[in-house]
Order: sequence, then C-alpha cells, then structure tokens
Amino acid sequence: MIRLREVRKIYPTRFGDNLVLDRIGFDLARGERLGILGRNGAGKSTLVRLVSGAEKPTSGIVERHMSVSWPLAFGGAFQYMLTGQDNVSFISRIYGQDIAHNLAFVEDFAELGAYIKEPIRTYSSGMRARLAFAISMIIEFDCFLIDEIAAVGDARFQARCNFELFEKRGDRAMIIISHDAGYIRDHCTRWAVLEKGNFVEYDDFDLAYSDFKEIIGVSDRATAARDSRSIALVARDRLRLLEFSHRTALNDDRFKALIHEADWARDRADLSRQAEDWAAAETLYAEALALFPFERSYWIQLGHAAKEQGDLARAEISYRTACALGLPAQEVAVHLHFVMQHQGVAKEDYPVRTFHPGKLADQLPGKPDIDLLGHILWNVDTIQHDVMLDLLRRSGSFDELIAEMIDSPRFAGVAALDQVPHRAAIQEPASEGAEHTLPWLEYVIATYLSTVRGGDRMTLLEQITSAEQILPRLIEKGAFRDFERTHEALKRRTIEDNDITAGEI
Amino acid sequence: MALPVNENPSLLDSLRVERRVLGALFLREALTRYGRHNIGFLWLFVEPMTFTLGVTALWTATRSVHGSDLPIVAFALTGYSSVLLWRNMPARCIGALWNNLSLLYHRNIKVLDIYIARLLLEFGGATISFTVLSLAFISIGWLDPPQNLLEVMGGWFIIAWFGSALAIWLGAMSHESELVDKLWHPISYIMFPLSGAAFMVDSLPPAAQQIVLYIPMVSGVEIVREGYFGNRAHAHYDLGYVLPLCLVLSVLALFQVRKLSNRVVPE
Repeated sequence: MIRLREVRKIYPTRFGDNLVLDRIGFDLARGERLGILGRNGAGKSTLVRLVSGAEKPTSGIVERHMSVSWPLAFGGAFQYMLTGQDNVSFISRIYGQDIAHNLAFVEDFAELGAYIKEPIRTYSSGMRARLAFAISMIIEFDCFLIDEIAAVGDARFQARCNFELFEKRGDRAMIIISHDAGYIRDHCTRWAVLEKGNFVEYDDFDLAYSDFKEIIGVSDRATAARDSRSIALVARDRLRLLEFSHRTALNDDRFKALIHEADWARDRADLSRQAEDWAAAETLYAEALALFPFERSYWIQLGHAAKEQGDLARAEISYRTACALGLPAQEVAVHLHFVMQHQGVAKEDYPVRTFHPGKLADQLPGKPDIDLLGHILWNVDTIQHDVMLDLLRRSGSFDELIAEMIDSPRFAGVAALDQVPHRAAIQEPASEGAEHTLPWLEYVIATYLSTVRGGDRMTLLEQITSAEQILPRLIEKGAFRDFERTHEALKRRTIEDNDITAGEI
Repeated sequence: MALPVNENPSLLDSLRVERRVLGALFLREALTRYGRHNIGFLWLFVEPMTFTLGVTALWTATRSVHGSDLPIVAFALTGYSSVLLWRNMPARCIGALWNNLSLLYHRNIKVLDIYIARLLLEFGGATISFTVLSLAFISIGWLDPPQNLLEVMGGWFIIAWFGSALAIWLGAMSHESELVDKLWHPISYIMFPLSGAAFMVDSLPPAAQQIVLYIPMVSGVEIVREGYFGNRAHAHYDLGYVLPLCLVLSVLALFQVRKLSNRVVPE
C-alpha cells in the first residue's frame, strides 16, 4: 500500500513560491494501476518523484508499505562513462542482488550484443532506452513508477515491454504518466487528472479524459491560437513557419489531445469500417490542423479519413498538401495515385510534386497557402473543393499558383494601390492586446514578407483591417519581388483595369 | 519474487544496507574516475604519489628552508602527503551531488553516502600513496622507519577527520551556492603554505606559533612528524583545540547535509 495524505509541494522560485501540489492524497494498493493525466508542467513528474522518495514533500505524509521503483525508462541513474555491464553491476550491488543473473537477463532483454561492454555514452538513444528498461526490470518492485515509457523503442520492443510490465507483473501496483493518453487508457485501472495542484480521481477513463480535455480546452484554446499565430510572427519565412509549426504543434497539449482522439476514432473506424467513425476522425484531425495549419504530419491522416468515406477529391487535397508542407513524397505517392486512379485521372497528367526548399516563388503551395491567397486575391473565406483541387493539381510553384489566381475571374482587383498607404496611416491602431480583425494575417506576413521583421510586423497587423488592403501593402513591402509570372499577371490586370501603373510593381 | 520490504529494520540490517550501498558507490566512483585503461585502479595512489615525488624532488633541489634538521625527503613526504589529504577531500565533494543527483532515486542511497564514498576513495588513495612512498624511501635508506607508528596514524586520522568534515560541509553547501566552489580554490591555495606542510611550528617565533596552531591541519601534520621522527621533530600541537573543532565541524556538516536532503530536487 502507498498512502499519500495532505501532500503539498512548493518550489521556491525567484518570482515567489510555486505551489505544484496542493494537499493531495490517495491510496494505491497492489494490483491497482493509476494513470495520471495533466498538462505539461502540471506536476505529474513531481508527484512521481515524491512517491519514489527521491524528493520530500513540503508538508504532508508519503507512506510506502511496499517497495517502489525509480521512475522507469529513466534508467536508474546511468553513469555514462561506465559500460552497460558496470551499470547493471552497480544496481545489483545497491539492491543486494546476484550480478551474474541480472547481467544475463539484461543481455538477453536489451539486445545490446557486444555493446554491453562499451561505455554508455557510445550508445544510441534507442540502445539507452532498451538498457534502461531492462535494468528497471531486474529489481522486482511491488510498485512501478512509469513516467513516459510509451515512446521507447520500436513496436516489437514495446510489445515486449508491455508483456514484462502488464502480463508478468500484472499483480503489481503502478503509477503511469504518459503523453499518450491511449496508453494510460489501455493499461490503467484508475485515473486521475492533475491540474493547478489539485488531484481529482476517476473510475472511468472517458470521464477523466473529457475533464482533462476541458481543462486544456478552456485554458489552452486561446493560448493555442496565440501560440500558433505567434509562430507566424517569429517565423522569418515560410520554411521556418513549417518547421516551427511542426515543433510547436507536437508539444501543444490541445493539439496532442485532438490528435489522440482522432487516432482513437481512426482505430475504431479501422475495425468497424463505418463511415461515421471515419467522419469523426476526419473532423478531429481537421480541428487539430485548424490550430496548426502548417503542421505537416497529420495531413496524410486527414486524407485517409476522407478517402475511407469515399471523398476522393478531399483526400487528394490533403495528400497534395502533405507533400507541399514537406512530408516525403514517397510516403504519399501511393495514396495519391490510388485516389487519382479512382477519380479517373491519369497520374501523368498531374504528377506527384515534391517539396523543395528554395525561394518562395519556386516552393510548392498546399491547401493552407491557397486559403491564405483566397483571402488576399479573391477576398473569399473558403474555396470550394473542386477549385482548390484544380489549383493544387496544376500549380507546381507559388509563382504559377498566384499568377493563375490573379488571372482568374475571381480576382478581386488591386484596390487603389496608390491611396492605400495614406489611408492606412490614419487608421486607428488596434488597442493594446486586442485581437486584430484578420486572424490569418500573421501567416500571410510570415510567408510573403520575410524581409519585414518584429515591430514592423506588429505595425502591419494593426494597420491592415480588411482583406482588400493586403495585396497593395504586400506589394509595397516587397512581396512577390522575384515572382515573374505573378508580375506578368499583375501587369495584364493593370492594363485592363488601368488602376495601377506598371512602374509601381 | 518481489523485493522484500523491511518496515522495522534492526540496526544490523541497516548497517548491512549501508555497507552494500557504500561498497557499490565506492566501486562506481573508482571505475568512473580511473577506468580500465592503462593502469586503471593503480592511479588511485599513483596520482598522489607522483605529486608527492615531484614536490619532494623540487624541495630537495631547492634545498627548501624548513627550520629543522629533519632530512628534506622525510619532511616533504610527511608534509605534502598531508596536504593531499585535506585538500583533495573538499575538492572531490564540492559539486559532487550535481553529477550524482539521479542516484537519489534509489531510496537506499542518501546524500551523505555519495560524499562518504568519495571520501573513502580519496582517503584510500592518499593513505596508500603515503604508505608506499614511505616503504620505498625506508627500503632505500632515505628515511628511517617511524618511531611511533600509532602516533603517525593518529595524526593522519586527525587530518583525515578534519578534511572529511570540511569536505562534507562544503560539499553540501556547494549544492546551493556556487560561491563555495569559487572560493575554495583560492582558499585552499593560500592555506597550503600555512598548513604546516612547508615548515615546522618550532621554527616560528612564539607569537606566530600561537596563531599558526589555530589552523587545524598544522596540529595534524606536527603529530605525524612527531610520530615519525620522535623528539627530533620538536612538535607543537593542541589536541584540546583540534579535536573539539573537528567535532563541531562534523556536526555542522551533518546539519548541512540534512538540510540539503530535505530540499534536493533530483533531475
């Protein structure tokens, strides 16, 4: 039995005390597996350290009436200068166990071969993870603390870990923390949500998860939106925008929660083969991608979900977008060919295009790029799927795409370029901290105005309050400078409309 | 079978665990520091031996003035070996916990154990080095065997006690303030000439003798020399001062460790 009562943990910081755990308590008996959900920094790892005894609570009681492991996957304190074998010997000595026996187990389980006799600093991260897990298994604790283990090793190794933990040691107590909510759902018997120092227990995962989602939804919706857009402010150009989106999204609680749920819906759909399950998955993936539209990893999943529902055009849009945002084309090609073939389109007509970094004019645009251009050039909020697909299929570069959209009858015109700066100058700046009117404008600036930085970007955001003002301001600020076709298209428009003089471009 | 939990361990059980933990930490520390390459473990005492030999050679060459008729080799050996003892102990313990924080996840390993393991290693190295060099010099006739071996050991242990208490105290403080590390280097450097390694108290004017004896290492070194050379050394020391001082320092050190243990955050 492990018993926590009135446990508080306060970390003194330079900015005052940080209350991480506020009078929390629970009992954990053998055979029970407690899964803890919580945001980054909610105090999950602190709780694990308190239970392990490595750290003491500020006040309250932590009783351990059974042996408790160190946090698994963390390896029991490797000394990186020493060999794997030395580390196994060390742990065996600390716990008074038979070294030879343990060594045999670790050699067999971690599959390190001759590396077991090499210093750990020469190991790959996968080898370290395997050794760490194997070492964790040599001491037979009554209670195992599992902090983020789901990410370790390949599928086969994970299956073996799960067997060791949940089959062979199914009678033990466990406390499990993971970013993979599915792992917690599948392996725990009790759940708890940790938020703002409070610890709330649940007997039912779905209840726990919906509360958890609410917590991250309520507190993070605004933050997530701000986060994803502030990326747009710091990203110097489109390539960095893609990179930052990828990194930020994968660390964003709300994005991860949506993706988890979407993955579960997908797994359900895989079994049930029901269109509505696929529809649920598609909605969730789309919601996640709405937070980070330039995140490349999940467009292909979004495509699969559409494909399974029979909407091949929407699937093709997502697949092509995945390529445009930088997913390797060979991963996407087979799916793309499949949906094209079933739409009766020859793959030679609209080849699979690959992502290539380089100047923006030559980069490959995806759906979020076209959505932005829809605002700028056509003054529309959404573009129909057939039009979107047609643009994606035919444009191999931003230059081609923009020229095409300018030539299109939908083009909204370059509204009185010479007047706009003056008009903008007398615009009332938006009040401090207020949301400006065009939430997607940051992405436009990040993509097209790589020469405009910091404060000037903020000024632009405050000045531009309607979609019609954007194109002239972009041109004025030097966007499209080396877009040849775009220039020609704009010239054609100029001669037609006689609105702007060719010399200004 | 699951690891047994002994909820009411007897003192003997606890000592057994402590011995196991210290043994494991000691080996880990030794392996990490000396590795298995070239002479491996032998570095434990070869390193301090080269230090002592170097200084002995230097002092012999420069015919250092030390204010007694003791042979210079004997003087350097006893003096510099003592310096190694009290100076290296704190140096090894300062910041030691930072490198070993993750060890605290093993509940049987306490902060103090980490320091003790390092001190054992340091004490072992310095002692073996001192012994081996003594035997070597004695066997080639540069040095006479100590007149009172027990007294040599007594002095040696006093230096080691002082060094250990200081080391644990500074080590525990250094975890929360990097000033300790910054200040220890200059202080230990300045203390070296004052520590009795390079002079005999007897050679100083009486006023200076009084002051110098406030430095705890001086008494230790004097005792070691008296044990070695008997009356020739004209040793001056003040056990009534040194022993209580070491005791107070030890208590301070343990308090500091206890405070640290309650606040330390592993990784």
